[in-house]
Amino acid sequence: MSDLPIVIENGAAHVTLDLRVYRLTAIKKAAYTIAAQCTVALGAQDGHCQHLTFLAKAGATERSLLEASRVFFQELLDQDLREQISEETSAVRTLVLAHAFSKTDLIRRT
Amino acid sequence: MTSFAAPFRDRSQFAPRADYRLAPLRFGRFDAHRYIVTNDVGEYVLLPREQLVAFLGHQLHVSSDAYRALKSRHLLFDQDSECAIDLLALKYRTRAERIASFTGLFMFVVTLRCDHSCHYCQVSRQTEDEASFDMTLEYADRALEFTFRSPSPNIKIELQGGEPLLRFDLVRYIVERGEDLGRKAHKNIAFVIATNMTRLTDEVIAFCKRHDVCLSTSLDGPADLHDQHRPLRGGSSHAATIEGIVRARRALGQDAVSALMTTTPASLARCTEIIDEYVQRGFHSVFLRAMSPYGFAVRTSLIRRYGVEDWLAFYKRGLAHVLEVNRRGYRLREEYTAILLQKLFSPTGSSYVDLQSPAGIGIGGIVFNYDGAVYASDEGRMLAEMNDESFKLGHLGSDSYEDIMLSDALLDPLEATLLESAPMCSDCPFLPCCGADPVFHRATMGEPVGHKAFSAFCARQMGSIRHVISLLEDDMSARRILMEWV
Repeated sequence: MSDLPIVIENGAAHVTLDLRVYRLTAIKKAAYTIAAQCTVALGAQDGHCQHLTFLAKAGATERSLLEASRVFFQELLDQDLREQISEETSAVRTLVLAHAFSKTDLIRRT
Repeated sequence: MTSFAAPFRDRSQFAPRADYRLAPLRFGRFDAHRYIVTNDVGEYVLLPREQLVAFLGHQLHVSSDAYRALKSRHLLFDQDSECAIDLLALKYRTRAERIASFTGLFMFVVTLRCDHSCHYCQVSRQTEDEASFDMTLEYADRALEFTFRSPSPNIKIELQGGEPLLRFDLVRYIVERGEDLGRKAHKNIAFVIATNMTRLTDEVIAFCKRHDVCLSTSLDGPADLHDQHRPLRGGSSHAATIEGIVRARRALGQDAVSALMTTTPASLARCTEIIDEYVQRGFHSVFLRAMSPYGFAVRTSLIRRYGVEDWLAFYKRGLAHVLEVNRRGYRLREEYTAILLQKLFSPTGSSYVDLQSPAGIGIGGIVFNYDGAVYASDEGRMLAEMNDESFKLGHLGSDSYEDIMLSDALLDPLEATLLESAPMCSDCPFLPCCGADPVFHRATMGEPVGHKAFSAFCARQMGSIRHVISLLEDDMSARRILMEWV
């Protein structure tokens, strides 16, 4: 039996995620990344809960559905971490780019 | 006697510091045991996951090897990093300089006629007697005027077809007039003729020698493999190609002739024979290319007969054999690998037009077709042969340089496919090694950005980049050879 917080019913896997733990943008990015393995449908939000349905490809087994959801959760952690890094390094990234192009005439100063 | 009071800092200044800041970076899974962390200029470090988590959580110990590696590659800054941001900015600017140089490669399709009937031909060639498929002098002149509107100090004009030497008179005109315009504009100009070598007369060779024109040809492997997909009426294409290569080298020099191969389903099991053919013929460069999903390759269903995993297996076997050839003392470079290595290690990245962000369409290279149509790339022209003119930018007869270079047909896909803002690409640690291919994604997925989870281009790129970095990190003898290709 899977130790993931999912329920498998009628050939689909159902998960509810806490938006206080995972950002919605990270959830969407993770869903996008694993699209080749399965389709992740986002349901309506209920307070801080986001319902997801993992829809397997035709002919897929319960095992492959569980594997796809496992990959999704790994990817979700990575995507969430990427968003944190993006926020943390935003100022430095802007500084590096501004410094890089500071000697060009591409920016009009008024 | 003079005494020197050297101003040493207090010992406490050299104690390990607990704080550090993350530099702009991307990370992702590299293999079953490691993650890769990269920055925008191609520097990278491989780490086990627990070290990655420690690093990102600001818990990495300052005396660890990982810390030193990350700091030396500008993936973190600490209080000792006095000029790290300046260095990173300089590296970024150096890599981005190429974008400002603008279009440097101009492809003139002087005729669509050809004496070969290659099965994978992307050109949808016409038979030799169809003179209406030749470029006119008027279009050649307008194309040359267009060429010298580019701000790039270095211009390369590539004469293509069909078989361009079927119209040697036009080739001669373009080269001579191009040289003249190049002198007046104070630009460095180079010419290449892409030819199958069947029309390489003494007159052509003498002309190439006088004007420093290089030749590029196709060599798919040993004779049976080459001739299988490149039928030539009345003879062997392989024999004609080799004879042309020998004659051209004798007059123009060893390095004036280059060859490219196309990987067909028949090639997949014969990569060592293909590479050995290149060695036997005295080449020091081989380019293990995949087949493009355009033109006759689609019509003859060749493109569907092998997938990404097949090509990756071919590429890995081929690269292993190239490295072995080098170990035996013969200098041989695999060009696709060299491009990836340049993107990782060269301060200027790579100039390969088909692997850039923003995409190289229009702003890296541009195509003038025989009929005056202007296309954003060679592949865009091939797509038009399949009735998809998404990458047709305009026409030499009716449109100005501004009309064409500022057209929506060019600017929209350039903007949409910029890797830094494309889904999945923007987070991908392999972004610095990669590029946008809007034409490939338009041809295979119906739109220029493509869904990268399903993209054969993405799978091919990721697979080959991972393989090259694995060799660099895990095979020191391979690394020594690979670093010579940068």
